[in-house]
Amino acid sequence: MKVGIEEIEVKEDKTIKELMDELQLSSAPILLEVSGEIFYPDAIKDRRLRRGDKVTLIPVIAGG
Amino acid sequence: MKVRRIEKVLVYDEGAVETLDIGEIAGYLREKLKKVQVKVRGNPFAFRLEKSPDYARKLASIKIRDASRKIAPEPEPLYGEVQYEKRRILGKTKAFGVVYDGFQLQRVFSELVAREERCLGFVHIFFTNRLFATWEESDKRYHARTSVYGVPSVISTTGLVEAPAKPREYYLVKQQYEMLGKDLLELKERLKASFIDYEDERLTEVVKGYAMQALFYYLVGDPFCKDKGCRLYNAHWQEELIFAQLGSGYELCGQHARILDSLHGK
Repeated sequence: MKVGIEEIEVKEDKTIKELMDELQLSSAPILLEVSGEIFYPDAIKDRRLRRGDKVTLIPVIAGG
Repeated sequence: MKVRRIEKVLVYDEGAVETLDIGEIAGYLREKLKKVQVKVRGNPFAFRLEKSPDYARKLASIKIRDASRKIAPEPEPLYGEVQYEKRRILGKTKAFGVVYDGFQLQRVFSELVAREERCLGFVHIFFTNRLFATWEESDKRYHARTSVYGVPSVISTTGLVEAPAKPREYYLVKQQYEMLGKDLLELKERLKASFIDYEDERLTEVVKGYAMQALFYYLVGDPFCKDKGCRLYNAHWQEELIFAQLGSGYELCGQHARILDSLHGK
């Protein structure tokens, strides 16, 4: 997975789970910022996103 | 490159070793960030003691039992393991014989961050002596780690000793010492300049570099640098770690120094 915190715009209405599946990030160590708050995707998997919503992808990275 | 704005840095002491001077590290971050507030919060469990049985169960369930087997989701921990974690949370022991799944540990720690502060802009750094490892799909085993960068970022003082490999000479001579029944402390004394050890007086200086990695994770989304002399170098060997943090003669490479300067309008 590419390193970096990245903001994306949702193209069509979908759930967080659908978004993660579409981005092939379902099993990746990642956090999401949605509406100014940070979540683990599985904690809000059924939350619906609307077209035009902004989601920030925040990969969790191990060092050493 | 987009550089994020940091509002506040919050530093927590989750049972890090006593030789680690967290106040000095916070001072270092203040000096580097200038206008950004840096606060030391102490033990993050202290604000949630009523939930300590729940955290103890979660921590006991993310313990790695076999480095070649990925831990099952939500295994049921043993009573004694939960009791150990309770004592650890309450500060009644600082033992560090357990190895945790690093990403799961970071997730448990994230629950200790106040909800209103769980957003980009707040940099949360937990210092701990808990040892953690992350699963590598490529060789199907866990690897010990120094740090996990996320919300919060977690830096392990035990990981700094155990995760980066010691010099090859150490392992070769160690075998000879073991065969001859010689004292391994003598070997450690002989090679002490080439690796970081427990209660090492260089630890605070080394950890400043890892705190910088946590800062850059928030600033640009990448904690690391390819320059072996930059404090952001992701060292896998102790000799690399010592060179990047103590021996290169500079703190940050030109590119990362410029990013830091850009925060001060230089």
